[in-house]
Amino acid sequence: MTMRAPAAVFALAAVLASAGGADALPSLGPNVSVRQLGTGTTAIVQTLSGPPVAAIELWYRAPSTGFDAKPVPSLARLSAQVVAASKPLIGPSLGEIVRNSGGRLAISVYSDSIEIAAVVPATAARSVVKTITTAYFAPVLTDAGFKIAQRDVAEEALFESFNPETATRDAVFSALFAGGPQHFPALGPARELAAITFANVRAYATRAFRAQNAVLVVSGPITPSILSVAANGRSAESAMANAEQHSASEIVNAPQPVQRVFDEPSGGYGWIGPPIASEREATALDFIADYLFNNESGYVTRALVESNPDAFVVGQFITLHDPGVMFVAFSGKKIDAVRAKVDDGLALMRKPLGGAAFASALLAFQYHLLHDLQTPVEMADNFGWYAVEGNPEYAPGVNAASGKYFQAVRSLTPEFVASIAEKYLGKQAAIVTLQPAPKKPSEPK
Amino acid sequence: MNQSFARVALALAAALAMTGAAPAPKPAASPAETLRFPRAVVTDLGPMKMQAESDADARLGGVQIFFSAGLDRQTVAQNGVAALVAECIARTTVDGSALRDAIADRGGALQYTIDGRATRYYLEARSEDLPVLLALFARALAAPDFSTATLASARAALSNRVNDIEGNAISVGVQMFRRSYYEAGAGLPALGTTTSLAALGPSDAAAFYRAQYRRGGVGVSAVGRVTPEIASALRALGDALPEGTLAPVSAKARAIPENAPRIVARRDVGAPVIVVGFAAPSPGSKDFGAMLVLESLLSNSFERTSATTLGIVERSVGASYLYDGSPASLIVYVNGNRVDPTVVIRELLVVSKSLGSQPLSADSLRRFKTTAEGAFVTGAVTLSDRSYVLGTLGAQGLGPDAMNATLASIEHVGAADVRRVAKKYLQRYIVALVLPRSAAGGS
Repeated sequence: MTMRAPAAVFALAAVLASAGGADALPSLGPNVSVRQLGTGTTAIVQTLSGPPVAAIELWYRAPSTGFDAKPVPSLARLSAQVVAASKPLIGPSLGEIVRNSGGRLAISVYSDSIEIAAVVPATAARSVVKTITTAYFAPVLTDAGFKIAQRDVAEEALFESFNPETATRDAVFSALFAGGPQHFPALGPARELAAITFANVRAYATRAFRAQNAVLVVSGPITPSILSVAANGRSAESAMANAEQHSASEIVNAPQPVQRVFDEPSGGYGWIGPPIASEREATALDFIADYLFNNESGYVTRALVESNPDAFVVGQFITLHDPGVMFVAFSGKKIDAVRAKVDDGLALMRKPLGGAAFASALLAFQYHLLHDLQTPVEMADNFGWYAVEGNPEYAPGVNAASGKYFQAVRSLTPEFVASIAEKYLGKQAAIVTLQPAPKKPSEPK
Repeated sequence: MNQSFARVALALAAALAMTGAAPAPKPAASPAETLRFPRAVVTDLGPMKMQAESDADARLGGVQIFFSAGLDRQTVAQNGVAALVAECIARTTVDGSALRDAIADRGGALQYTIDGRATRYYLEARSEDLPVLLALFARALAAPDFSTATLASARAALSNRVNDIEGNAISVGVQMFRRSYYEAGAGLPALGTTTSLAALGPSDAAAFYRAQYRRGGVGVSAVGRVTPEIASALRALGDALPEGTLAPVSAKARAIPENAPRIVARRDVGAPVIVVGFAAPSPGSKDFGAMLVLESLLSNSFERTSATTLGIVERSVGASYLYDGSPASLIVYVNGNRVDPTVVIRELLVVSKSLGSQPLSADSLRRFKTTAEGAFVTGAVTLSDRSYVLGTLGAQGLGPDAMNATLASIEHVGAADVRRVAKKYLQRYIVALVLPRSAAGGS
């Protein structure tokens, strides 16, 4: 662990515990400090030069559908929003603090994790670290906050219901996993959202939003001394003294095709991929997704720009604890033509690319990675995601070009990439078809 | 809904101090509490100058190259030619590939944007790769391909993007306002229209290129890790351009009449969208900081409370200070999918009048200055955004260290400045209504 500000580190002695020992914490690069706070929170602080903007993020490992046996889609999303909207007894809510600074606050929920992310002027960073940890280490929930959050999450769910990428991803995950939070959408239908009670939210927030279960990431022109203002949170009861474990995955061996009604013709594919621990294989699938579907230069993207300019396509390998998922979604008026272009691209990857094409693609891939790691919030997202999925040292933002991720990139060969495409994408995919409901005879064509 | 906006108006009325209120206190910020971008430096590149903010730990460089080939250089008959030229340049073959693909295949990206005052190209790559990519760009710039085939494919690509823009009601409303506010080319759509593009041929593109792409009409800004090699490549790029300077274009905007003209268009939208457009000071003006504070005030005061930040499609009301054109403008949009636009417009105009007649209270001034500063810095974080803002503000009178000059201009704003600027700019406006095709009324 490199100390960039030794004096500040001594000053932090009162709030930083040595529990776990420095050797238990990952090393994430010369400008990144990793600590364990007294209450058990893992804190990652990255000091950057550049614009006077800081990202402050809290990440939690917690199922989107709740901890009980009966899954409740939207529970995690609603609970996180209630905390942000609830005004504490003293002072403004987290949402107000961020808004009044001119910054932005976002909450994202994935199958097995939750992210609360603020982007603020660097001068507001200390205040936001204090407020976000106070709010989410010992949640205070109010009726007013609950009502505001219900309205906001219902509107978000409505918007997302028209998003072909979301609709396809939900269907793909539903087909690939027989149960667990992965089987259900993170944002459920309005009827299910309305059925979630204040008591449900309180119970969920109490268990999920604990200092012991949190990863705090701060990135920007700040120093590790910023951690001195982090709240301690609740003292750990025996049942909640540790971080939550990853949800067990219930994989479907032979996923069945899914057909659903949607506003515009759309489709998608999904395959079970390697876990985050299989670094080289996971990196190869990232490379494949970038080569085919990068939004500017992807092989499929370029083909569609000319032939089907109205088409939309997205493809990514979602790096998860175990297993990861390769996911492709597409839409367009001529959906069969779009699907054919996607299929062409996928078939191409199962044979080794030529040497020159591969070298060029690898160069482009590395640039795209760096392009996606240029702002404090992108760096914080990167550290937070890989930490909560259980392999922070594999984060692409770690240690610049000498980190584990970029080492894995440089180890790729055309033959290895083709073998990984065959190994994972050669299996039966979850195939999703979304199409508008057939018109009734009385409706105008 | 109506009641909530009435409450907003009351709250804003409370924010406006009574006449004779004490001036806002000067900020008591210590150096550690002061927002500052890395100090920009200027490098002479022969006939061009480069403003650069260098970040020691960045691994990428981003370069924005501004050609004086914006909308204000087009005639009405040339509608879309600036975009057509840029698209043809991006499609010009170098080393066997279209320039855009050649750059992508070497680990970089090329984009262009047509602004009111410039066509700007943005190149980004690892800093060590950027000089080679700039050399590729220079080759395409020196011999752009305006052949019939390239022009046809460029036209088709632009037409697709035009159709996308036409499907966005807020964009349509902003364009209607700009068309009404600016004279001649400055009010034309950035990419032209499908009809205007169809009328432009290779000779039109070549003529526009010959007239506007001159060494003396280029500005450069760079951010990220900016190396001497990048500066050298930019110097070579400038040297390869045709010699010559461009006469400045005089600002052309119509005076906004007192009777608040209304323009109506119909599109396939679910609900009405209203765009209210005001004149606004240019960035070099002493009123710039105060207008940024007003933008923040108008953008935030009418929106409903939400714990998380709302995206554009979720917002009911938003404001945007458009300083890419000269003179500049401020637009406020109201999304009829979210609120009753007639109520919001009424409140907006009441508030605009009040802002011109009463000063803000000290607390409100401090709050809106803080949000204005915050919005400015958080809106200029990516290399692309930061290089654009640095270059465009620097070219409009804010000097080489334009980002920090902007923050200083906000910091120096007093309540009297806000009132004066509101009185000067927010009392006359143009209303652009984008209505569903099936709605009754309108023209």
